[in-house]
Amino acid sequence: MSSPITPIDPAPCSGIGERRGRVEDDRLIMGQGRYLSDIDPGDALEATFVRSPHAHARIVGIDVSRALALDGVITVYTGADLQRLVGPWQMAPPIPGLKPTTVTAMPVDKVRFHGDLVACVIGADRYVCEDAAELVDVTYAPLPAVIRPMVGGPPGLVRVDDQVEDNLLCEQTHITGSFADAVDSADHVERVTFRQARQTHVPLEGRGCIATWNPSNTALTIQTGTQVPHGYRSTIAARLGIDESDVRVVSPDVGGAFGQKLVPYREDVCVSVISKDLRRTIRWREDRRENMLAALNSREDHVDVDVAFSSTGMIAGMRASLATDIGAYSLFPANYMIQVVAMLLPSFYLVEAYEYNLKVFLSNKTPAGPYRAPMAIATWVTEGVIEAVATATGIDSVTIRRLNMLDEAQLPYLSSTGQLYTDISPRLTLDAACERIDYQALREGQARRRANGELVGLGIAAVLEPTTYGSVFYRDAGIPGSGMESAVVRITPSGGVNLTVGVAASGQGYETMLAQVAVDALGAEFDDIRVRLGDTDTSPYGMGSRGARVATAAGGAAVLACQALKRKVLRIAAAWLEVDADQLDLHNSTVVLTDGGDRQPTELSLRDLAQRAYLDPSNLPPGEDPGLEVHKSYDPPPMTFSNSVHCCAVSVDRDIGSVTIERYLVAEDAGTLINPTMAEGQLHGAISLGLAGARQEQVVLAEDGTNLTPDLRYYPVIASDEVPQDVELVDCSVPSASTVGGMKGMSEGGVMGSIGAFALAVQDALAPLGVTVEQLPLNSDAILSLLSRGETRS
Amino acid sequence: MHDGDLNTSVVFRLNGVTETFVGEARLLLSDMLRDRYRLHALQTGCENGVCGACTVLLDDVPVRSCTLLIGQVAGRSIETLEGLYGDEELVNLQRCFKQAHALQCGFCTSGMLTTLVGLRRSGQSADDAQQEVAGGMCRCTGYVNIDRAIRCAWRV
Repeated sequence: MSSPITPIDPAPCSGIGERRGRVEDDRLIMGQGRYLSDIDPGDALEATFVRSPHAHARIVGIDVSRALALDGVITVYTGADLQRLVGPWQMAPPIPGLKPTTVTAMPVDKVRFHGDLVACVIGADRYVCEDAAELVDVTYAPLPAVIRPMVGGPPGLVRVDDQVEDNLLCEQTHITGSFADAVDSADHVERVTFRQARQTHVPLEGRGCIATWNPSNTALTIQTGTQVPHGYRSTIAARLGIDESDVRVVSPDVGGAFGQKLVPYREDVCVSVISKDLRRTIRWREDRRENMLAALNSREDHVDVDVAFSSTGMIAGMRASLATDIGAYSLFPANYMIQVVAMLLPSFYLVEAYEYNLKVFLSNKTPAGPYRAPMAIATWVTEGVIEAVATATGIDSVTIRRLNMLDEAQLPYLSSTGQLYTDISPRLTLDAACERIDYQALREGQARRRANGELVGLGIAAVLEPTTYGSVFYRDAGIPGSGMESAVVRITPSGGVNLTVGVAASGQGYETMLAQVAVDALGAEFDDIRVRLGDTDTSPYGMGSRGARVATAAGGAAVLACQALKRKVLRIAAAWLEVDADQLDLHNSTVVLTDGGDRQPTELSLRDLAQRAYLDPSNLPPGEDPGLEVHKSYDPPPMTFSNSVHCCAVSVDRDIGSVTIERYLVAEDAGTLINPTMAEGQLHGAISLGLAGARQEQVVLAEDGTNLTPDLRYYPVIASDEVPQDVELVDCSVPSASTVGGMKGMSEGGVMGSIGAFALAVQDALAPLGVTVEQLPLNSDAILSLLSRGETRS
Repeated sequence: MHDGDLNTSVVFRLNGVTETFVGEARLLLSDMLRDRYRLHALQTGCENGVCGACTVLLDDVPVRSCTLLIGQVAGRSIETLEGLYGDEELVNLQRCFKQAHALQCGFCTSGMLTTLVGLRRSGQSADDAQQEVAGGMCRCTGYVNIDRAIRCAWRV
């Protein structure tokens, strides 16, 4: 039973830059979003996985007889069964210092983390499958669990992967200039330490897929919430050894992703293989416990920085040691996330001498992958180094920033890690933030409150956010990857506009954003535009939704396609009206005659032109092909950045260790904003996820590797009373001169900035006690511990 | 009423209609409503009663349907979001949510709206409503705009 969806509050103006209401909202506020669990899977069987209760154990034996005897159970697959159907795959991109590893669809010999796959029950419904899963008898021989791989240990240490010695999967070093010389020339050298805790994404909708093998055309259709439908398709085809052309991936509405729905998981491979084997539709939907145990972790990064600087606060050089724990399996290229951290650390400061060494470790924990702003720790590190320089020299940290920060006049600037900065505005955003927060007055107010015994602090985090990676970046960094994106735009015979790109949505409002692009770039009426995403049969190939690339890459591709289609439309109109094409424009789907400065609507609409193009093509101008459809692709510049400054003012309760955020302000330059309201929404969401990890969220494991935070009763997801009541935003947008449309993108900088600003705010509040913040999260236990350490010192 | 197979029969009102449902006694209310009655507005995000995405009104009170077994609604009245369509409190909240950009992926939205309708009906204040939302979960919006939507709906 459903009610007609009635649009509410149509906005009068709907082009780029307008705060247009979202078309997605009309179905979502009615609860008529179509998420994976809402899809009727027809004659489907349900899949439920048996998962290891041990963090590390050999699988001695699996007895499925009791499970098979249960009414409603069809069959049970073990790792050995699946091995006969699907081979292992190697994770071995050509990265120096990376050891190749092998992943199987389901472990055969041993399990490597609490929640690892052991068997797959196929049955009539979820209840029966869960009953059966409990009846699968697995004999394990537990092994010692590796949970502190970065600390190191004696030779002969337990190996997570039998081929990987010391659990060290990857090590890389980079040197620019000479840090040793910088030390010689400097007055001070400080070691600054940063430790981030392991976290997990917790999208409100968990993972799942519906795999349908159609024997009549040997084709596989997979419905799943994915950020990258085409990549998902390529990967599943490769795993199953079938033609990519015989796989169709359809992504419906998705209840959040944040990086957890970038790639097919082993579960997706198992379900697809089983669908083909049984010639049945198989549905898998994980519950929250499975999602917490087994989906993906992130952020367990350790960074130590040695910084050499003068007594006047000039930074001469930095040397960074980075280490990260990617858990039990390398599901992504191992260095992928931590290398970006390393490359970002100098940020927009003029650091000519910079060295880094990074190490990637395996452990008996849930595998790690990208989580909205995988490089997030970088901002806290860079800004924490700035604060350390300020403390050591007694010079205000904003002054230190200005002293070391590049000037917009120095652009384009090649960083010490080979990053080309072309369109960034760090000074603009720093000045804007300081002006809006009234920096001097705020500091004076803080001094008065400190004199009264209050613990108050201000954290400043200047953010450099890489949003959109072009293909040249991957090539030059030696990382396999592409930055391209594609768009197809067509006009239907009745004059409607259909636009599609190679990304899939999980809440970002792309249907609205891209329609706004088409309003301006094509000249179409907003309500006539339909944006359809997520189906590999109808969307052109693209690299999907990740980073903050969609506005720049997909928006750019859409601009190019719409502009090309508009040129064709106006050529046809020009011939029809017997004028020059450059005297015509298109506005609200109507051809407009531009006569000097005057704009006169003609009687020609998009519908008229489409009718001729499709149904009366012999009357098209000579040389013009029938139809109105254009495909364009776009490879953005090697790197596109946006930048921002986050300011967070806090007070700390010294008795219970709680932190109140008193004020939160952001000055941001993300270039052309397609929809400023949606950009603000992205900023709020990013800030909440950054604060989540800075304040309280962490995966906690027992010594034997048992996951102690396997559901929402134990993992303290951030709530509405733990984020700022209001985020003051200073708009510093400067369109990029380097991207089609001027977009720079944003949505991860908020994570980077909020972690840095909050950590440094608390550190500032505790500065009178002489403590520094080296470990996140800053929950009340952590703060009480810092307080008592400070009191002991004084 | 139980039979030997652990099934039970439950009589209750669902969106204004009296229903008799026969099913396993251990069936969660959320699963019954979604899978057997195809009421897909409510979603399940945690099955622990923490996130609020499965909220329905039980005798006008917002409850988390994943925390109830079907037998617990015997003789009672359930309203899901579908049953609230056209209700002036819901329409007001929907307008405010849209205008405030208080939703992104939409997965938590039905639970939020249902909860807030219940709070409006029982005369709770906007502050109470904001506090109630602090007991639920949204992973996309960062909550700022949800609080704005609440203040809009309560005309604060």
